[in-house]
Amino acid sequence: MAISGRFVLLVLLGLVPVLLLPGWGTVCAVLAVLAVLCGTDLLLAGALKPVQVLRSDPGNVTLNGTAEARLIVRNDGSRRLHGLLRDGWQPSAGAQDPVQGIDVPAHESRRITVRLRPVRRGDLKAPHVTLRSFGPLRLAARQRTIDCPGALRVLPPFHSRRHLPSKLRKLRELDGKAAVQIRGAGTEFDSLRDYVRGDDVRSIDWRATARRSAVVVRTWRPERDRRVVMVLDTSRTAAARIDDETRLDTGMEAALLLGVLAERGGDRVDFLAFDRRARARAGTAIQGNLLGQLVQAMAPLDPELIEMDWPAVPAQVRAVTAHRSLVVLLTSLDGGAPEEGLLPAAARLAQDHVVVVAAVRDPQLGAMVRERGDAAGVFRAAAAERALLQRAAVSAELRRYGVEVVDAEPHQLPPRVADMYIRLKAAGKL
Amino acid sequence: MTDTLPAGVRGAAPSPAPGRTPLPWLRKHRALTALCAVVAVALGLVVWGQLAPRGDAVPLSPGNAGPDGARAVTQILGRHGVDVHTAGTFEEAMAALGESSAATLLLYDRNGILDEPRLRDLAAAAGEVVVVTPRLETLTALGSGIRQAGVVPDDAPPLAPGCPLPDALAAGEVSGSQGFVYDGGVSCYRPAGSAAGLLAVSGDGQLTVLGSTVVLGNGQLDERGHAALALRTLGKSPDLVWYLPSLEDVAASGSGQTLDELAPEWVRFLGPWLLVVALAAIAWRGRRLGPLVFEPLPVVVKAVETAEGRARMYHDAHAVDQARDNLRAGILVRLAARLRPGPGASAGTVIEAAARLLGRPAADIRDLLNHHPGSESRLVAWAQELDNLEKEVNSR
Repeated sequence: MAISGRFVLLVLLGLVPVLLLPGWGTVCAVLAVLAVLCGTDLLLAGALKPVQVLRSDPGNVTLNGTAEARLIVRNDGSRRLHGLLRDGWQPSAGAQDPVQGIDVPAHESRRITVRLRPVRRGDLKAPHVTLRSFGPLRLAARQRTIDCPGALRVLPPFHSRRHLPSKLRKLRELDGKAAVQIRGAGTEFDSLRDYVRGDDVRSIDWRATARRSAVVVRTWRPERDRRVVMVLDTSRTAAARIDDETRLDTGMEAALLLGVLAERGGDRVDFLAFDRRARARAGTAIQGNLLGQLVQAMAPLDPELIEMDWPAVPAQVRAVTAHRSLVVLLTSLDGGAPEEGLLPAAARLAQDHVVVVAAVRDPQLGAMVRERGDAAGVFRAAAAERALLQRAAVSAELRRYGVEVVDAEPHQLPPRVADMYIRLKAAGKL
Repeated sequence: MTDTLPAGVRGAAPSPAPGRTPLPWLRKHRALTALCAVVAVALGLVVWGQLAPRGDAVPLSPGNAGPDGARAVTQILGRHGVDVHTAGTFEEAMAALGESSAATLLLYDRNGILDEPRLRDLAAAAGEVVVVTPRLETLTALGSGIRQAGVVPDDAPPLAPGCPLPDALAAGEVSGSQGFVYDGGVSCYRPAGSAAGLLAVSGDGQLTVLGSTVVLGNGQLDERGHAALALRTLGKSPDLVWYLPSLEDVAASGSGQTLDELAPEWVRFLGPWLLVVALAAIAWRGRRLGPLVFEPLPVVVKAVETAEGRARMYHDAHAVDQARDNLRAGILVRLAARLRPGPGASAGTVIEAAARLLGRPAADIRDLLNHHPGSESRLVAWAQELDNLEKEVNSR
């Protein structure tokens, strides 16, 4: 039960008879009238027991996009339902109009649309819907909360999409589709064609030229149908925020760009989110659009406050594919003791695969290193210097094992990882 | 509206809330419980403090054991067979006077509370009236011809009886401090050069006016003839009514109207009704439209926190050497990256390469890099020099 502002106004109006005819009798009479009005209104309000609320699945939306949550309120009662409805979305779902007026005649249904502008990635929930049914005088209302669970999946935004055209162009240049055809761009023999001016003389196939009257060159194309395995670290180090996003989000951006690029490049892509157990899996092997699968797999991921189980990573990669592949570890270089975790795991992987470790560098460390103002500033510079030296040492150690390291600031990491992929592909190392 | 409903989730009635026992609830709301306990204890202390019996501080009260009280004289009178009835209001005093014939009445009306009819009633009911430091109105109302005649001078010596009254003669001299003198009837204890005295008795002996509270007070009762004068004056009859008019006598006198009586009738209902309106408004705004929705917040930590924490630790521990080593290693690594002296180059090679580039003696640069700043201020200066060196190399 609830009362309306109108009822409060009525109580205030009750002051007039009380002041005109002062006395306890008047007070009691006015209170009785108010109670009767309130009670009658409550009795005449539309019953909420026979009301059903049906929620249709709002589906998916990318972060910063808008979605619509649709509810259907069906009134099976014998009286008109007039009142308010509140759709109980969690705050980060950004419901623009969660409270709406409803007016449903008896035995009819009405559709309610709530606009959502989510501000966080993940599965956002709406556990219940609350209905408030006012009486004909709009003085008092019945109220009931109905369990009506719904969820909106908010997908990662894929901001790095803007790098995709330029990287795809680079990839096509490798593929021989573009005019520039240089030896070394790809390692698989593609075809023979006539020499045109501008071709590299080193690519002339003399044997074929001898058979024909014209000069013939070989063309090459990059390898296809290689495998790319992306391992996203969701352990505690992924919870660290650098600039405006966590390492996990930056890793997702990089994985999305690399995944789409590698798929266009004709390679098979597998994605694995792992800390102590596999949090998510996606890949080309499964039916459907790769990008859709990737974002669906990434959407519910959150950093877990546990240590990464590095020794288990090689086995996980082997479970994904037994072939030689490009393994991209999206992690951090400065978590805990890398010599016990990341280094041995990367070294073991590097024996069978091409391994790239992609890590986010904190631009604030670079600014801290330059502080010279006072003693506190110099100590900060020394601490930042130490952190950077540690990263550099880990990077150097990784490179010693033949592991490629991409160490970049958050917005630079996805294109740098993509560049690394293109470089490795061009060099035929996959 | 819609005949076919899309596939969706069908709403169901909420399951009944599980029963809760008070102990887990208390444990869960520990802070609230503690706060309630503190408030309850504080409230109890305040109430106890208000209700606790406080010492009687009324001047000349038989219950007051302080210097200005009259506990001593009433106790002594009681021990000598005088029944002391203490009265706080006019009704009590009249009742006490009515119980015994010819009782003595001690009246000490500091604030002039009693009006003329009451004083007359009291005088009529009492056998003998002893008035202590009365005001002009009181004396006029009692109408015995005794008048106020000023005060005893501050530096006056103890006053001698100087009158034929047997009580005064037996008591001897008394202190005149803070005393008033009265004229008319038989007056005793006259200050030098005055016709009025500290003690005045009307012609018929019915009214005794005592111009000093010091004579009756606990503080100086055992000095000079105070005790004798007090006991002889007050102990003449077996009953003594000790009447100190209080504020209750004022209210009973019915002078003036209260604010409540002056205000119109409806004002009484204005406040309570507005309270009802306020309660209704609280119920209106306070009723939430459904329960709160839980928002799971992921843990997010600023990545640079670890470096900043380490910096504070260095600072607190004055780790100058550690900071110097870090900075030196940092600049060597960056110089090596810039000058490219080859893989695995030692510090000396890097320094020589830098010296060649800058055209400066290698010893200078080596001294700068190998310097050990002992204090924080020198560390800052050294760090700035390192920075300058790096900028110089980068600008070439």
